[in-house]
Amino acid sequence: MNAAAALDLASIPERIQQEVQRAIQRSIKGVEYFSSSGPTLGVTPKDVLSARGTMNLYHYRPLADEVYRVPILIVMATTNRGYILDMVPGQSFIEFLLRRGYDVYMLDWTAPRPEEKSLRMEDYVLDFVPHCVRLVQEDSGETDLSVIGYCFGGVLSLLYGSIFHDGPMKNLICFTTPIDFRKMELFSNFSDRRYFDVDGLVDSVGNVPPEMILSSFEMLRPGSRAVSQVQLWDNIWNDEYVKSYRMFDRWATDTLPLAGDYFRAITKDLMWDNKLFNGTMSVGGHTCDLAGIKVPILHAVAEHDHIVPYDAARHLIPMVGSADKEEVILKGGHVSVVAGANAIKRLWPKLDSWLGGRST
Amino acid sequence: MADKGNDPFAVWQTVLGEMEKGFNAFANKAMASPEFSKTMNQASGATAGAQRQFGELMEKYLLSMNMPSRAQMVDMAARMQGIEAQLSEIKALLQARNSAGGGTAGPAAPPRPPRTKRPPEPSGEQK
Repeated sequence: MNAAAALDLASIPERIQQEVQRAIQRSIKGVEYFSSSGPTLGVTPKDVLSARGTMNLYHYRPLADEVYRVPILIVMATTNRGYILDMVPGQSFIEFLLRRGYDVYMLDWTAPRPEEKSLRMEDYVLDFVPHCVRLVQEDSGETDLSVIGYCFGGVLSLLYGSIFHDGPMKNLICFTTPIDFRKMELFSNFSDRRYFDVDGLVDSVGNVPPEMILSSFEMLRPGSRAVSQVQLWDNIWNDEYVKSYRMFDRWATDTLPLAGDYFRAITKDLMWDNKLFNGTMSVGGHTCDLAGIKVPILHAVAEHDHIVPYDAARHLIPMVGSADKEEVILKGGHVSVVAGANAIKRLWPKLDSWLGGRST
Repeated sequence: MADKGNDPFAVWQTVLGEMEKGFNAFANKAMASPEFSKTMNQASGATAGAQRQFGELMEKYLLSMNMPSRAQMVDMAARMQGIEAQLSEIKALLQARNSAGGGTAGPAAPPRPPRTKRPPEPSGEQK
């Protein structure tokens, strides 16, 4: 113990010197932070195959000499921008897939315009997703495709797959996809049907504003924003930390509004009646039975997901009818499981090893 | 270098992390109550109502100033959207035509790689 204390005393001048240097760096980098924009995100070259209001379909230009036969269609969550999967070179899931020889398409969203407030769940599940599937088939010349859905993009993919279970979806991968919406307990309480007048809200505002969506996410961890800013100041001397902070902060605050009637359906059918879990969900008169999904499926969930807790996601694999199905629980949170340093080490290689053999 | 237990800067980081966890846990517990939901939704309802009234007032004001109303701007946006969609369709058609080798307008799309890739052997290197 005495030796350890002596060692600590000896290291104090060095530590103080380091902190003084960091304090100077903080002042310099702090000025830089406010006078510069963050890194440019979503730069992997792509072509827009279709743009219809809130819906965009991208095709990423291949980066490999040969690609797998089966293309991938990524269905992004409707609350957020797709560039979370294409941050910067070296930290881009899209770039990773392209370099591993996949032909990648993405169904991404922009803010629905005021006149799109009447878009319903039917428009997303029976029009946007099938429309993009058709375009991927035409563009790639292949009938089969694999679908990857992130968060609510996973829900849309499941609803699509449960209705169009005769094809052409060959494989389905869901990331952090909720099934039992009661287990998203805080969201469930925020939207308590006794107090939340969803009709009044949608009739008043049309599309649900992004500030409201963002605050509902931030309320799940109300102390985290303030702490993250303190941590940013602590680490502002560290260029890599600042770059990463700016990327994720920009994405997290770049939340999209939700089309009014679509939000109404999510609230009533999923948050209130929990229809997907109860097996009573239908879209446009089509029953959405998860047991009807028979294709190979992989569900990746995050151990510390505060948005879609494991209890909300764990029912997916037992409920689908596939014989070839797997759930992987990975360290990380709702976002870090799909993007960032953890994802590069954990999720991406797992996905590649699972999907490669199923893409020929 | 001092170990983390004796390093005041590491202790500060740990305390900060613990404070965050503690505050989040406390707030989450409070937010899980029906009373919180009731109060929050009453406040949101009032805000939405005020927002709507303000919007209606602004529309009247803009009209009196002989400026385009929100509805007119939305109509214009819809027309722009229609034009954008048609341009995208035309671009896609041109690209399809060029890649089929029948077109002359614009540069040809880059050739696509063959769809022949096979997964690596279990012990082999990724190609």
